[in-house]
Amino acid sequence: MKNVIEVKNLTKEYKKLKAVDNLTFDVYEGEILGLLGPNGSGKSTTINCILSLLNFSDGSIKIFGKEMKPNAYDLKREIGVVFQDVAIFDELSVYDNIDYFCGLYIKDKEARKSCIEDAIALVGLEDFKKFYPKQLSGGLLRRLNIACGIAHKPKLIFLDEPTVAVDPQSRNNILDGIEKLRNNGATIVYTTHYMEEVEILCDRVIILDKGKIIASGTTDELKELAKIEEKVSVEVKDLDEKYIEDIKDLDNVEDVDYSNGLLLITYKKGKNNLVELMDYLKKESIKYNKIFSERPTLNDVFLELTGKELRD
Amino acid sequence: MTIFKTFLKVLNKCKAPIIIYTVFLIFFGGFNIKTSDNSMSFVADKPDILIVNEDKDNKITNNLINYIEKNSNKIEIEDNEEARNDALFYRDVNYIIYIPANYGEDFLKGVNPEIKIKSTGDYQASLAEMMLERYIKVANIYNDTYSLEDDIIEKVNDTLSKETNIEITSKLDTAKLDKASFYYNFTNYCILAGCIYVICLILSSFKNENISKRTIVSSINYKEYNMKLLISNTLFSIILWMFYVLLSFVLVGDIMFTAHGVIYIINSFIFTLCAVTIAFLIGNLMRNKDAINGIVNVIALGSSFLCGAFVPADILPDSVLKIAHILPSYWYIKTNEMVKTLEEFNFETLKPIVINMGVIVLFSILFITITNIVSSKKRKKN
Repeated sequence: MKNVIEVKNLTKEYKKLKAVDNLTFDVYEGEILGLLGPNGSGKSTTINCILSLLNFSDGSIKIFGKEMKPNAYDLKREIGVVFQDVAIFDELSVYDNIDYFCGLYIKDKEARKSCIEDAIALVGLEDFKKFYPKQLSGGLLRRLNIACGIAHKPKLIFLDEPTVAVDPQSRNNILDGIEKLRNNGATIVYTTHYMEEVEILCDRVIILDKGKIIASGTTDELKELAKIEEKVSVEVKDLDEKYIEDIKDLDNVEDVDYSNGLLLITYKKGKNNLVELMDYLKKESIKYNKIFSERPTLNDVFLELTGKELRD
Repeated sequence: MTIFKTFLKVLNKCKAPIIIYTVFLIFFGGFNIKTSDNSMSFVADKPDILIVNEDKDNKITNNLINYIEKNSNKIEIEDNEEARNDALFYRDVNYIIYIPANYGEDFLKGVNPEIKIKSTGDYQASLAEMMLERYIKVANIYNDTYSLEDDIIEKVNDTLSKETNIEITSKLDTAKLDKASFYYNFTNYCILAGCIYVICLILSSFKNENISKRTIVSSINYKEYNMKLLISNTLFSIILWMFYVLLSFVLVGDIMFTAHGVIYIINSFIFTLCAVTIAFLIGNLMRNKDAINGIVNVIALGSSFLCGAFVPADILPDSVLKIAHILPSYWYIKTNEMVKTLEEFNFETLKPIVINMGVIVLFSILFITITNIVSSKKRKKN
């Protein structure tokens, strides 16, 4: 696969603090790469270094095979950025905002017009073209923010937590839009701390903590890293301590927790765990309301790797 | 064009304050100009004087009283000291002259009797004092030379009756020049306020941290972007300046077609460019849109008051004028005041005006330099 971004030994230091510590990774053409990590893990700093918004202490960054510099305007033409904070003019309408930011890349008025219409359609703002930012909800503002960043049809797009504080409808719309961008051939670097979004969208994920890569791969590959295989929850009333001890002795059981009528069993890797549990419950005539099984999430992986939650 | 078009759209959003400042100028400045006195004639002022005569009927004393009454407005007040003091306090009289008993006889004897006075201390009281001193000095001179009472009175009246004709030789239409100066002094506030308000508002949008980040990562050259912004803002300021110049043709038309008018126009143009640099500096220092109104008031209104845009600089305290030296407005207004007294146009007369304009240009260079330092430090900090 063709490399779109090549980051080698990237280090960014703020006095004594290493915000980014010797990062090396590639981003391939047409993929969505998720940069996952808690606040302060170095996601935004990494992106800012790649975009030449920040000077870095060491390492090299290449985009489309060329070294990225603040004055690499030919490279910048192919890049679109959607920052975490909404960056739009309060004095301009939705259409004029997109027109302005698109105009920083495309001079031709007619070409720009079609790009703006496409961007508006992509984020679903057709009914709000003449609205001013003050008239828009938080979710619609986020959509406008995205439209401003991608209207010029870039080949490489950086999306820095684009769904922070948006309503579910806007979030779905934004995620659909990102899918469409990928389907149109764009390469996307997506930073977030919402693991569900990463699982839905990303082809590959890099997990960052304290400026270092602590794991990378596809979501399935990452989940393989976890010791636990499965988590089973059972709604059951008044369970005796005896039964809990018995369940702990079942095959592959890593941990059992019972509180407020909910029995939570964590399994190590192994097969037929749910079947064995149900057989035991039947054998002991233990009545239960609901039972459900789930695979470990990226948050579980992150918890295992770092000892803390992703949203810490 | 994208930047310029966006500049115009943002500008369109702040048309209300521009209109308010312009209306303010037209109403206050224009109204003041139209209602001010046009005459060039000279009329001597007469003070209000009360004479308390304790002397008996005496020719010398009566002559003094006649002279004073002829050259002042004689005021009648109740005959007690409290009423006289009240009259002074309420400015019903400017000057009270107490002629002592036996004044006439003592004068002829050469005793030089003391005349007590009470005064409000204003300029009309000074006029009264000058009049009294003049009479006494002349009378004393003739008292030394002539012995007869009637001779002295005749000579004194003869001398004091001589008047001087005053002819104004200046070719300047001072009334109209006063109006033009007043108008252009007033534009100090309008140009400063207009430029600072609009440029700061526009810069606070364009230089918003997030929008700046998006601009830096775009394919536009950031220096070129800044240059386009500067040109757009300067263009707006020039249009604003042209509007005020056109307005001056309406309000004080005649003067604007003379050499005086040309200097007013050049001076205001240089000041407008300086106002742009001030606005750019402030725009780079602040980002909060809510603070713009306060800044406009502090800088535009403050410097206008300190430098004599609203009230003549002559009546401002020296300490205020010393502070005003560090403001471009002072040099701008000073030039306007110089222009109105300019009778001949040659190297010598124009030199101080050119120097003042040069000072404004130096201020502009200083503000540009500070702006560059501030923005470069900000970039490094970010």
